[in-house]
Amino acid sequence: MSTPLATTAEPLRRTTRRRGSVDRRDRWVGVAMVTPQVLGALAFVIAPLVTVVRYSLHEWNVLSGSFVFAGADNYDRMLADPGLRESLLASLYFSLGLVVLNVSLALLLAVLLNQKLPGTTTFRTFFFSPVVVSLVAWTIVWSFLLQDDGGINGFLAGLGVDGPNWLRGEGTAMLAVIVVQVFKNVGLNMILFLAALQSVPEEVQEAARIDGAGAWRRFRAITLPLISPTILLVSILTIVGSLEVFAQIAVLTGGGPGNSTTVLVYYLYQQAFRFNDFGYASAISVLLFVIVLVLTLIQWQTRKRWVFDEV
Amino acid sequence: MRSDVHPAPVVAPTPESPADDDVRPVRPARTRPGTTRRRRRLVRGLLVALLAVLAVPFVFPTWWMASSSLKPMSEILRIPPTVLPEAVSWQAYADVFRLQPFAQQYWNSLYIAVLVTLGTILVASMAGYAFARVRFPGANALFVLVLVGLLVPAEVTIVPLFRMVNQLGLIDTHWPLVVVPIFGAPSVLATFIMRQFFLGLPRELEEAGRMDGLGRWGIFWRIAFPLARPAVAAVAIFTFLKSWNLYLEPIVYLSSRENFTLPQALTQYVDAYGGPMWNVQLAATTLTVLPVLAVFLVAQRQFVQGLAHSGLKG
Amino acid sequence: MTPHHHRRRGFAAGLAAATALGLTACAADEQQVAGEPGTPAEPVTLTMTVWTADESQLALFDEIADAYVAENPDLVSDVEFEAIPFEDYTTSLTTRLAGGNPPDLAWILESYAPEFVRSGALVDVRPALEATEGYEVDDLLDSSLALWEDGDGLYAYPFSNSPFAMFVNTDQIAAAGQPSPADLVASGDWTYDAARDIAAATAASSGKQGLVVRDFEYKVWENLSTVWEGWGAAPWSEDGTQCTFTDPAMVDAMTWIHDATFDDGALPGPGTTADFFAGDAAMTITQISRASALDESFAWDVVPLPAGPEGRQNVIGQAGIGVFAQGEHPDVAADFLAFFTNPENAEKLATYFPPPREQLLTAEVLGAANPLLSEEQLQAVVVEGIQDAVTKPAHPSFARLQEAVRAELDALWTADADVEAVLADVCAAIEPVLAD
Repeated sequence: MSTPLATTAEPLRRTTRRRGSVDRRDRWVGVAMVTPQVLGALAFVIAPLVTVVRYSLHEWNVLSGSFVFAGADNYDRMLADPGLRESLLASLYFSLGLVVLNVSLALLLAVLLNQKLPGTTTFRTFFFSPVVVSLVAWTIVWSFLLQDDGGINGFLAGLGVDGPNWLRGEGTAMLAVIVVQVFKNVGLNMILFLAALQSVPEEVQEAARIDGAGAWRRFRAITLPLISPTILLVSILTIVGSLEVFAQIAVLTGGGPGNSTTVLVYYLYQQAFRFNDFGYASAISVLLFVIVLVLTLIQWQTRKRWVFDEV
Repeated sequence: MRSDVHPAPVVAPTPESPADDDVRPVRPARTRPGTTRRRRRLVRGLLVALLAVLAVPFVFPTWWMASSSLKPMSEILRIPPTVLPEAVSWQAYADVFRLQPFAQQYWNSLYIAVLVTLGTILVASMAGYAFARVRFPGANALFVLVLVGLLVPAEVTIVPLFRMVNQLGLIDTHWPLVVVPIFGAPSVLATFIMRQFFLGLPRELEEAGRMDGLGRWGIFWRIAFPLARPAVAAVAIFTFLKSWNLYLEPIVYLSSRENFTLPQALTQYVDAYGGPMWNVQLAATTLTVLPVLAVFLVAQRQFVQGLAHSGLKG
Repeated sequence: MTPHHHRRRGFAAGLAAATALGLTACAADEQQVAGEPGTPAEPVTLTMTVWTADESQLALFDEIADAYVAENPDLVSDVEFEAIPFEDYTTSLTTRLAGGNPPDLAWILESYAPEFVRSGALVDVRPALEATEGYEVDDLLDSSLALWEDGDGLYAYPFSNSPFAMFVNTDQIAAAGQPSPADLVASGDWTYDAARDIAAATAASSGKQGLVVRDFEYKVWENLSTVWEGWGAAPWSEDGTQCTFTDPAMVDAMTWIHDATFDDGALPGPGTTADFFAGDAAMTITQISRASALDESFAWDVVPLPAGPEGRQNVIGQAGIGVFAQGEHPDVAADFLAFFTNPENAEKLATYFPPPREQLLTAEVLGAANPLLSEEQLQAVVVEGIQDAVTKPAHPSFARLQEAVRAELDALWTADADVEAVLADVCAAIEPVLAD
């Protein structure tokens, strides 16, 4: 990214200063051009969010229709709720695991596909195809494969390995959910990396080659810094997306074993739609929103340390 | 649920980036001794083998889905799964259309996705351009306000949105599925992508337009927007997929079968006791996936090149 | 844009609801009663949410609804049956309630019955049923209604009462040289221990699975109630305030289930899928309505649930139809419910859903609906199975309890689990919820 998140138009150049009247007319065109998006965001994002904050200050049982002002009760309850703490930890585990696995696998695939090997087009289609497959169908197939007596363990048995009961083990259930999610979406990140790799100038690589740099060194010293903005963006979007995992958890583990895969969104969903506790669910929504906001801000603030090419 | 589709950051064309991603010939190793060439070939062979192994977990589920739609119910649930159907039956495909107005539902999904895609491109490219290029009061604050949409999961706002739609009397219509994505949270991603693109667009191109007497709107419409084709392509694909796979919202908003969209329709193939008719569900799923896959297969080169062309350096 | 065919809440009404935020503050203690339907200004459209998408069932509902509309053209112009996928049923219903747009009538899952019944969300339909000529309220089985009552009020009609039974694959059992369950029923030796031994021996011989408690899958633990009822065990006290997972009966029952799974191999372990109807298992406990999934691929029989140490207990799975107080026309909806479930229509519905009506619970009526079952099987399993049957566990906070118990019970499903310790943990986890 060449500009930080919160700044908009670049400073006007001196040459345009002469045309003050044009600028003034520009202003109105600019306002008009952003109006549909801004009004939409107000109506469909900000207004519902404000409503959610309002709900979070109430005790709201949907079934009985009771809606009573409760002040900060729901927030106090969050502090004392062990289930919420567990789900925060599960979310942390899930998001970190997902980002690390997704980004590294996407990068590996992109680098491999960038080698001009035979069959590249076919492989690219293979890796991308899960992106367009319906999430529910994808998850169901994997739930069959991950059964104790399913395809994965059948394959492992063929290699003489006694596979674990993936979806039932405390340690393996989350791993399984992460891997299924990575396979589903890594193709898109792979394409983004592939496009980034292809815009790395050949000449720079060549120069380094002549200087005697090995492939790994060239990758570390040249390619990686040049594509670091893409890595940043892919990471942000993967983290934001990881907080929305829901169908996967529902189909694969139902939040178990124990509460080990009950991530925050799943917990929120349970409170709202299974327990009909909309006030508390709204408070969790507010928490979720704040977390995503803070995470995104941190990523942006720290990007200068590791993202090359920042202006 | 949602499709977790990520956008590409797209920035202005960089002329030096290589256009061909497949056809570039292998650099001839003329000056190198034969052993090096053999080693290179060995390494390349190993890399292809590695790709083939890596591809298995990506391809198998899709293959299983397509082949299982030709199997009888009892064979589908067999563990370990069969790779090829033992007895091919197309009955499930006939049932897909017999049990539900599937063609109508297909059309619903298609036209909603197309409208959402077109609308999003328009709204997002205008907003993205203005945020990137035009100086107007409050721009920063408005941009931050819009960006909030990027950070709100659908589950958080579904209840307030449902109330809003209900108050407008638009339950069981396609309006909320078209209007909310075009103007609301889903389009924010698109605006963000477009803004990144326009930020990197060389100013000189616009100056020429100004010399020709074009106003800001004319510059956007005649010069900037046509140049934004790679970014628009990326936005179009992500937006289409997202709308095509939308699940939570249709379930909540729509109630009559002839209004259903595909992801919702898929769940309706169940037997008298709520048990899924797997073969029919998988047949219907295959019908929803294959066209999209085919489009990608045909368009992928342009897609990747478009992104590569656009530099994507951020 | 598909035009908005079905009129729902008008715009003005919507605005009014918006002002009041649609939060009809009706407290749980002032429950509403459906009265005589006054004739509305113009005929109304009723909606009923259902979780079946089966076309023949929906066709039958439409047929009954059409007859009602024909009889009451001033009252109702149309009845719509909205099929919501089972998985998303409660979510969808809840969102509509939260959004102030509930259906007029809805199918309600038994697990959620007490929650709905006590919430004030439903109207008391008993007066409407009693006021309907020829309805014969007395014919309804008390044991079927129990779950749906609160005081004198009846808050839903249990239209489906499907007994749990044991399906057996007689081919596999005979091939293993095991005694036939039907013979054991006849001799009075049909116990859970006997079933376990047959299941273990048959599984060992066939290489497939033994006894499958269907839909349990180590998540939906309430389905185990079919087993532990034989021990006289229950998850919580009758009044729903005390945890009874640690009572000796439950400890014994759970120990039996655990050992049958991990020591004897009679039940498939966690993470193992086995579909009885695909021929993967020797026997299964499930609802009798599943008989339709059987075909000619193997010989089978269906017998009543085995007896535990405390004897035999019939268990049924139910589903009810309720009328929402928040709906626009609760009186009309209740009147339609009375028509939908009158003796004549109940007999039609009996094709798919065993009714709660004593006079319809005959092998003859049910035989028409279940051609696969013999008259003896129907008599033994369905007709007698519904009498004095209990339902699966239910509680006003069921969803919360379900989740909490599931999470704790996960520790039980390993070979070396300490049953008593796990059950103590279960109680510790749910006692705060029960005390609420």
